[in-house]
Amino acid sequence: MNRTVLAIGIVIALALVVVLYFGLGKDPQHIDSPLVGRPAPDFALKAVGSDETIDLAQYRGKPVVLNFWATWCRPCWDEHPTLTATAQSAGNQVQFLGVVFQDDESKIVDFLRQRGWAYPTLVDEKGKTAIAYGVGGVPETFFLNKNGTIVAKFEGPMTPDIIEENLAKAMR
Amino acid sequence: MNATLGRFLILGSLLVSTTGAVLGFAAGAKRSREGLKWTQRFAYAFAALMVVATAVMEKALITHDFSVSYVAQVGSLSTPLWVTIVSLWSSLEGSILFWGFVLGLYIAAATFLTRKDHEEYMAYSIATWLACASFFSFLIAGPASPFLSVAMPPTDGPGPNPLLQNHVLMIIHPPFLYLGYVGMTIPFGFATAALLRGRLGLAFLKPMRTALMLPWIFLTIAIMLGGWWAYEVLGWGGYWAWDPVENASLLPWLTATAALHSAVVMERRGVLKGWTVTLIQGSFLLTILGTFMTRSGVFNSVHSFTQSSIGPTILVFLAAVLLGSVALLATRIDSLEAEGRIDGAVSREGMFLLNNLLFVLFTFTVLIGTVFPLVVEALRGKQMSVGRPYFDSMVVPVGTALVFLLGVGPALPWGRASKEQVRRSLLPPLIGAALVGIIGYALGARNAWTLLTLVFGGYAAQVTLAEMWKPVVQRMKRGDSLVTATVQAQFKRGRRRFASYIIHAGAVIVIVAIAVSSTTRTQREVSLARGQSASIGAYTLTFLGTETRNEPNRVATIARVAVAKDGKQIEVVEPRMNQYATMREPIGTPAVHSTLAGDLYVSIMNLDGSGENAGLLLLITPMVSWIWIAVLLMGVGGVIAIIPTRSAVTVLEPQDSAAPAVAETAALT
Repeated sequence: MNRTVLAIGIVIALALVVVLYFGLGKDPQHIDSPLVGRPAPDFALKAVGSDETIDLAQYRGKPVVLNFWATWCRPCWDEHPTLTATAQSAGNQVQFLGVVFQDDESKIVDFLRQRGWAYPTLVDEKGKTAIAYGVGGVPETFFLNKNGTIVAKFEGPMTPDIIEENLAKAMR
Repeated sequence: MNATLGRFLILGSLLVSTTGAVLGFAAGAKRSREGLKWTQRFAYAFAALMVVATAVMEKALITHDFSVSYVAQVGSLSTPLWVTIVSLWSSLEGSILFWGFVLGLYIAAATFLTRKDHEEYMAYSIATWLACASFFSFLIAGPASPFLSVAMPPTDGPGPNPLLQNHVLMIIHPPFLYLGYVGMTIPFGFATAALLRGRLGLAFLKPMRTALMLPWIFLTIAIMLGGWWAYEVLGWGGYWAWDPVENASLLPWLTATAALHSAVVMERRGVLKGWTVTLIQGSFLLTILGTFMTRSGVFNSVHSFTQSSIGPTILVFLAAVLLGSVALLATRIDSLEAEGRIDGAVSREGMFLLNNLLFVLFTFTVLIGTVFPLVVEALRGKQMSVGRPYFDSMVVPVGTALVFLLGVGPALPWGRASKEQVRRSLLPPLIGAALVGIIGYALGARNAWTLLTLVFGGYAAQVTLAEMWKPVVQRMKRGDSLVTATVQAQFKRGRRRFASYIIHAGAVIVIVAIAVSSTTRTQREVSLARGQSASIGAYTLTFLGTETRNEPNRVATIARVAVAKDGKQIEVVEPRMNQYATMREPIGTPAVHSTLAGDLYVSIMNLDGSGENAGLLLLITPMVSWIWIAVLLMGVGGVIAIIPTRSAVTVLEPQDSAAPAVAETAALT
């Protein structure tokens, strides 16, 4: 029995296995947003299908669900029914806002007409708002509490469970 | 039907591999010849079942049988046939089946080639392979089964990962990587057998070395193809980002390269047996670690598979093999006695030791950098990433030292050398060193590490060429013609020596090309309106406008850019952004105008909606294509080294003259 080999081997083996074990079960794509816990960057963007400009500040006092998406993004299609249904059932208690980037207004209007149009959708002309929010890809959804602070961020398509869980944080 | 048949075949392979493994270990312990025969039959049976199971999956893919879960997951009526065929390895479950297929082929081939030799080791070797095979059969049968039945088959599926469809390199990179990764199982089996037997005869070194060389060749090329793909697709102009999965492919390559070198010392001097075996065990373990990294969802990377449930299963296997190997090494390493010793540090073998030390240092540097973010997150709950600065500052000196050894190592004679001998071998290549250093400086290299690499590279190049030439001269002195001498010295008698110097030549070029391309590139970011031009180096680029093309599986936005060199139009390049329906982000594909001197690289940074303005990243990177070419040269060298010939017979022939014999045996490097 070569004890040196045994000792060195076991130290390396255990260290590696323990570290890898603790790495299991987390999502490596997920990056903690530095914005969580901070005031949401303000914006005023034109709403799709009207000439109205919507300012984020006008919803202070109400939780806001801010969903970045685009018509060319397939996962966004998947989450659209969930978002629409939740927005309808939440009624006046929560404000849903869609922000579309890198897209054509006509395509957005067609999309919403066909698949349901439950809340204002805004056009992020040069992607400035997406940049301010550090959006890495679509869909990405931010949850704001009534003070306008970002309490949660989710990357990827929404499911009813995910919305519910994050909305609860925003309602607190 | 296909799903049921597939499940049946995989259960069969699980049964056959487990039984064969148990039988093989028992046969090894009892030294039973009959037991070995049966173990061999089980090995062939495993291979046959895997081949048929894979054929069933391919048939299901090609005939769009969406009642098979994997086909429902990656199949699509609209993808071209070649995409359908290669989608076998486009997603987790299929790629594990492909792994089983490759493993089956390797095991069958290795069993067949050793069927008459090395009887004392073979039962243990085959048993080890089949034990690994039973783990992968288990994965395919249970946690990662591609053959589940879909109760309500869809009429069409989403098609494979768009990245696979985006570039041809992405189709050939994975099979090469699997051939490299899976192939490490074979030398691992040999090494384990030597440990279990408590003996490692020099005759057994030959199959062990060949078994190591083959996956090494595949892995070498796979790493290069991965880098090339990143360069051609990812759009930032680099080919290596120290991404965890890139590191995962590099780690076993480093230890395997070290093992190939320590095997030479073992062959020449009868020492380093335990060390060589340890490196081989390590190489296999690192392939399993790499598999865990890509498939557990623990590491973030451009090519990790999405979250999967097989991470814990692979981790259990990794832990078991790791602890088993440590226990086996600890109990048996002392029985692999050294038959000789190493005299003198300033000798060929001394340089081999230094080479091994550097490769191991390199391995740990990369391994620590890769897992460190996990350590930090486990201990402090904070996210962090280890980036280029760490790796560059650690790896550049090691890489430079390796080029130094590529020159000095082969220049030094084996054994104890007199001062005079050392001087005679080490001084002449300084000419090559000075020459290349001066040329590099004249062409604009100013980075100290780059200049040092160029100087060492020039030194190594001269040594390599001189060592290739030496046996030819010796034969010509004996009256052979140049052609006969070359054929005899390089392809017949001294083939392995010749092959190793080809690999060295490739390695020198690769390291020099990496040093030059990463430190001397010119970069410009420009924003151009339609019709406007910008210049970089000798090139002038004019933005002609954008166009959108609807292709069957994607929408491509293309910027057309006219390229002129020294005022003469040479080409219109088309960097593009491909948007696939299933992806969150578009995949850019830069345009690369390649020449041997350097590449012009044009990548889209942004396009405005009107198509009138484009933000472009322009890069001129010298010598990039040399990396791809030189790695292929290394692969060619590896192939020359392992082509089976009747040379095993010639080695036993009595040597008719001392001079060439000296050069050729000296040459077993």
